[in-house]
Amino acid sequence: MIHLLRAEWRKVTTVKLGWGMLLGAMALAALGVVAQIASNGVRGNAALPLSAAATQKSIAASASSAYLFAIVVGIILITTEFRHFTSRPTFLIEPRRGLVIVAKILIAALVGLIYGIVCAALTAAIMIPWFGAKGITIGWIDNGVLQSLISDVIVIAIFAVVGIGVGVLVRNQIAAVIGALVYLFVLEPLVNIIPVVQNVYPYLPGAAAAAITGATRGSGSSHLDALQGGLVLLGWGLLFAVGGWIFTIRRDIP
Amino acid sequence: MATGVEGRIVASGLTKVFGEIKAVDGLSFSVEPGSVTGFLGPNGAGKTTTLRMILGLAEPTSGTGTISGVAYAHLPAPGRTVGAVLEATSFHPGRSARNHLRVFCAAAGLPDRRADEVLDLVGLAQAARYPVRGFSLGMRQRLGLATALLGNPRVLLLDEPANGLDPEGIVWLRGLLRHFADVDGRTVLVSSHVLSEVEQTVDRVVIIARGRLIYEGRLADLEGASAGVVVRTPNPDQLRAALAPLKVKVSAGPDGSVAVLGATLQAVGRAAWEAHVELHELRAGSSSLEETFLRLTVDPADPPASA
Repeated sequence: MIHLLRAEWRKVTTVKLGWGMLLGAMALAALGVVAQIASNGVRGNAALPLSAAATQKSIAASASSAYLFAIVVGIILITTEFRHFTSRPTFLIEPRRGLVIVAKILIAALVGLIYGIVCAALTAAIMIPWFGAKGITIGWIDNGVLQSLISDVIVIAIFAVVGIGVGVLVRNQIAAVIGALVYLFVLEPLVNIIPVVQNVYPYLPGAAAAAITGATRGSGSSHLDALQGGLVLLGWGLLFAVGGWIFTIRRDIP
Repeated sequence: MATGVEGRIVASGLTKVFGEIKAVDGLSFSVEPGSVTGFLGPNGAGKTTTLRMILGLAEPTSGTGTISGVAYAHLPAPGRTVGAVLEATSFHPGRSARNHLRVFCAAAGLPDRRADEVLDLVGLAQAARYPVRGFSLGMRQRLGLATALLGNPRVLLLDEPANGLDPEGIVWLRGLLRHFADVDGRTVLVSSHVLSEVEQTVDRVVIIARGRLIYEGRLADLEGASAGVVVRTPNPDQLRAALAPLKVKVSAGPDGSVAVLGATLQAVGRAAWEAHVELHELRAGSSSLEETFLRLTVDPADPPASA
């Protein structure tokens, strides 16, 4: 297993994609944080002042939007094998396909963790001087800012794992990436506004992620609390991982 | 036949059905250690599918493929026992040749210096640090071979390895494969759709067409049989009936003549005479090995367009 983990890690570090996507994740995380701080107090913005706990939490939580890049990285890590047929030497050297998928999932989780930690650190690096300049204290513990940052990391890491599952199920790289983004941006928000299916909305991956970080995401339906959201998202991650594992064992390798 | 011989590849009754199409149809053959075996057939004959089944990448609809007597997935250390290249396309374009090999060094538990060793062996040391996207087809073939050789395997399965190599590269590959078989006693299976490409490299051939075995044996025997007899007659059906007891292979030539494989001029002439079949021509065939290969593999219902 340690051999496979080393091989999978090398696959990530020997191409540029992982670094490029990390920059993208950082940009998206920073955008959310900067936009929220900058727009605070602007006329017409109903948000509470920067000193309020809810505002501080919400700013810290906005870094979790980088999960979009994490799921795409997860998808690409696996689909690139099928696209460029590196799946062949990979499964020739280790024909126990389940082990390869487990190694991929663990490395995707590690990559997601790194993305999450970088994005959370970036958020703190933006908040600290900006709040300092305004003379506002950040309530790391009291206002739950630290908890939100940790939630960001967890959400981003789990989405990288979900990406592996999606990529194993839908081996076509472009279809998998577009499918995942369309789902998160279009389908899931749609579920939230259609009355009949609205009740399942809190249990969908994007909503579960929002529950973990405490970010408000639309209205009209109840949210889970952070722990419940975490368990639901972990469930999705496991579902996709196990589904991907079974599919890879059963299907022919291209 | 015992299948458990170390390094022997055995296909028995291998069948793969895609929807309505039987890509491989009850294929059985064996490949011996210490020889270079050509796996020949026209494009779409099922060569790659067969190799994929033997290598455990594709599940046979029925039948089995074994290496050293066991299914690929049950080999104790497949990365160090078997080296295989399936078409020269299994690379990430943005990864350098050296890093590509180091990924698989890690996966197989081999030391990283092995990557540099095989790069030297295939003559790619100069290009080691460049991304594969800039590689020519010939360089990709060499890198594919390098990947297969990483674990110093005793069994090699190479799908169209000469494709894209320049003449110098083909000579080099021939020498390398012969060395593996003759000096090291390894098993080498090389597929190709062009007989002439491997003619000077292989000892034995397995020829398939439309997923079925056409010929298995020594190349020299195929050469012996390839001369054949060419007959011209207004009554080809009568001739076929007359030749039936001789157990020969009779096929229609491109110009309306009939080619007979596996019998002498005298035997064919006598059989025709005894059956009162009118002959307009009876001569020894002068067909090359390549013609024999074509005749064996071309679908009678779908002949290739003549030039």
